[in-house]
Amino acid sequence: MQELVSIQLPDLRLVLPELTVLITGFMLFSLELLFKRLSHAIAISVSLVGYLIALLFITFMPAKGETFFGLYHRDGFSSLLQFFMLLLTMVLLGFHLIYYRKKRSLYGEFYYLLSFALLGGMFLVSSYNLIVLYVALEAVSISFYILTALLRSDFSSKEGAFKYLMLGGLSIALASYGAGFMYLYSGSLDLRYILTHVGENQYFLVLGLVLFLIGFAIKIGAVPFHFWLPDAYQGAPTPITAYMASVGKLAFFAPLVRLMPYVQEHFAYAWVATVSIISAITMLYGNLVALVQKDVKRLLAYSSIAHSGYIMAGIAVAQLIGLKAVIYFLIAYALMGFGSFMVLALLERSEGWENRLEQFSGLRFSAPWLAVSFMLMLLALLGVPPTVGFVGKALVFMSLSSGSLWWLAFVMIVATGISTGYYLRITALMFMRNPSTNLQLALTGWEKALIALLTVSLVLLGAVPIILWGFISPSAENLFVR
Amino acid sequence: MVGFPLASVSMILPLVGSFLVLVLREELARWIALAFSGFVFALSILSLFYFDFSQSHKVQFEEVYPLLPEFNLNLHLGFDGLSYLMYILTALISLTAILWSIRDHQVSHRLKEYYVWFLLTESFLVGVFASLDLMVFYVFYELTLVPMFFAIGIWGYKLRMYSAYKFFIYIFVSSLFLLLGIVSLAVQHYKQFGKYSFYYFDLINNQYSLGFEVFLFFLFFIAFAVKTPIVPFHTWLPDAHGEAPTAGSVVLAAILLKMGTYALLRFNIGLFPEASLFLMPLMVLWGIFSIVFASWFTISQSNVKRFVAYSSVSHMGFVVAGMFLLNAEGLKASITEMFAHGLTSSALFMMAGFIYNRLHSFNMQALRGSIKFMPVFALLVAITGYSSMGLPGGSSFWGKFLTILGAREYTLQLSLLVLAGAFFSVLYMLYLLKVLYLDTREEARLIHFTDIRGFKLLAFLSVVLPMFLVGLLPFLFFAFYEGYIQSLLKHLVLRGGG
Repeated sequence: MQELVSIQLPDLRLVLPELTVLITGFMLFSLELLFKRLSHAIAISVSLVGYLIALLFITFMPAKGETFFGLYHRDGFSSLLQFFMLLLTMVLLGFHLIYYRKKRSLYGEFYYLLSFALLGGMFLVSSYNLIVLYVALEAVSISFYILTALLRSDFSSKEGAFKYLMLGGLSIALASYGAGFMYLYSGSLDLRYILTHVGENQYFLVLGLVLFLIGFAIKIGAVPFHFWLPDAYQGAPTPITAYMASVGKLAFFAPLVRLMPYVQEHFAYAWVATVSIISAITMLYGNLVALVQKDVKRLLAYSSIAHSGYIMAGIAVAQLIGLKAVIYFLIAYALMGFGSFMVLALLERSEGWENRLEQFSGLRFSAPWLAVSFMLMLLALLGVPPTVGFVGKALVFMSLSSGSLWWLAFVMIVATGISTGYYLRITALMFMRNPSTNLQLALTGWEKALIALLTVSLVLLGAVPIILWGFISPSAENLFVR
Repeated sequence: MVGFPLASVSMILPLVGSFLVLVLREELARWIALAFSGFVFALSILSLFYFDFSQSHKVQFEEVYPLLPEFNLNLHLGFDGLSYLMYILTALISLTAILWSIRDHQVSHRLKEYYVWFLLTESFLVGVFASLDLMVFYVFYELTLVPMFFAIGIWGYKLRMYSAYKFFIYIFVSSLFLLLGIVSLAVQHYKQFGKYSFYYFDLINNQYSLGFEVFLFFLFFIAFAVKTPIVPFHTWLPDAHGEAPTAGSVVLAAILLKMGTYALLRFNIGLFPEASLFLMPLMVLWGIFSIVFASWFTISQSNVKRFVAYSSVSHMGFVVAGMFLLNAEGLKASITEMFAHGLTSSALFMMAGFIYNRLHSFNMQALRGSIKFMPVFALLVAITGYSSMGLPGGSSFWGKFLTILGAREYTLQLSLLVLAGAFFSVLYMLYLLKVLYLDTREEARLIHFTDIRGFKLLAFLSVVLPMFLVGLLPFLFFAFYEGYIQSLLKHLVLRGGG
């Protein structure tokens, strides 16, 4: 089939992974439609095979270039992010089944919604075109709204999804309104052209860009546009929370990252000022609010907001080193966020577990290796070397120093200092207190292996940074080349 | 033999040990830990024969493993005279701590974890002193926090969790400034030489304006001042040292504090010579201020462990004041005092832990006159006390004497100030000895005091005997860092013009 495609439409070679995911999604959709009682084993294997093929396309056919008349742009950056998106989606499919069974909310929709969200994310990381970005944004968002609401018996799941829907809709409206202004200014929908174009009425450009940025700021949960995030993250089924915190973050940050090389010309100063102030507020607010949370899932949601702040600090420095730092930190956070929410998903399966902070006391006695893994993930989120979180923070510091944004560096130190409190509290509870509840937790060997893999990758990718760096550095340099 | 990978072997051995502790039976844990820390110590002593003391300013046993070529980031390990001495101290004190833990009542549960954390600490500490690459140094510097956090929080005394938090948060947050400083140095190197580097001997060539250099100096200084600690950044220390298990306090006081002073000496003075010369009066006075205030805090303590902890702060004042005199005597005094304090403070903490096992109290009032029922122990404590006070023949004598000498090179007043500091530090130690020896104790008959023996005696001797070595044969130790000091002074003259 692939050969046929390549013969008839040679352009499509660049979008083979996306096509595979699309076909997988439609296969899952029709399977769900045709068979009343869809076997989950079949759905999972179809998804896994589809994603695996897509993953192989990305790994072994590293094509670069533009297709569909410049609408679609594949480069090292998009391949790298797509690789991690696919990988994390596959890992997710190793976890979700028992969780959803336990919550009695296992539906066939889950599988194709997941693949449409993934598809939207893959588009979002590989285009400069406003229309494509808009469509991709909608594809990811709508899938996320439904996936969030998919815990049918749980009211907070509905509430979270509804808030997400309202603010998500607003964000898309703002982004498309902004896109309209940018088109008005330049007569083009290509971001690269818009930002390098010298035209009259710069106001339109600034207005359009501000609206566009606000739209994305809502999506990534930057303060003060974050109100949906804690509720949606807390209400969503935990595997979906992990998915939003990893694949969602990768997808929503990608267009901002793509803007970075182009802001230097016209409004370097305005960019630095705006983004750095939002970043400072975001990291401080996220960490301060996380500090007083009693619910660990909500706490990690606020920590996710704080991490958006750290990543934006790198984005504020629109230089090459900042770009590299941001890509590294994005991937690092995707892994850390995914891992930590996944541990919660595993714990939630045990009877009476509500993610309350005090339930974590003595976890080392009831689930020793899970406690060790969770500790390493928390230390990674905190930024203790030699984990990925540390390398990410060091790189952000490096770019802040390179851009002489000293005040933001000090704000980041303060914010990290605040975050020490809550990450450490969970760690201390797990290891230094006696167990309060009797935890019955039976993990399958498969789950143990995946958690171990995630944990090891957090440490290994940090201790041997060259593994990731070998991909990040060239793709970032490639982004900077006009 | 100079090409022998001493640092990495010394780091890998404890890692192997901790792995074995994890997989083998719990009863074997202590013996495996003892064996592997013993191996490292034996290795450190053996390597003495191969260390070229005439070239002590040069890096020996050098190893380079590339980590991130783009940033010129390597796992660059090696020892010059200064770090070599610290490495030997690390090997010795780690062995002492594990020897002591074998029969410590406080360590009776979760033995596997306990020894894993201690072996990991040893490995990371070797990494701290062996790193020639600032980023790698930072990684190990931070890593030592994690095992100590658990050691305090799990096996500590009553306020253990609070103290563990405080310890971690203070040092973690302050060292973020260090991280910012280190990456700034690399960025500066990029701006001046066109490539990033974290290698110490590359960064030494960076040039800054004085204002920026002072700024960078303080980024580093905040981290090390908290770690060292210098008054008023010391408030984490009495809690952490006071609540940690004995072996934890020993490692904390003897080596972890040295990380701060070692780094101050190597990085603050080595990398920012101009700023150091500019800030010299401030730093020396700050050190003396630290001595005096910490001495007063010490005397007012009623908990003997906190007493010892505060006395560490005052000793660290000597180290800092001596170092920032920036002359041969001062630097020599500072390094000798680092080593000497490693010995005396660990002996004093073992003393506190030992008496606690007998009386189940750290209260000074409860300890009154208790020591005279244990003659051998009393003798060892007396030697430690006098050494710490700075009596000639004791280990701290050279540190204090040379500091005064170094201060005299500037003005008489300064040396008198140092002398006053030394006076206060004698005062509190005499007070401690008086409480332990001379105060009367009525209910002595009711408590059975067993004298020190076995592994604990061995542990105590392992630090008391080297005290004599430092006190009586100081030139043995001067040989380690004579070359380093000469080259540092040359660098200071070259760069700072002072």
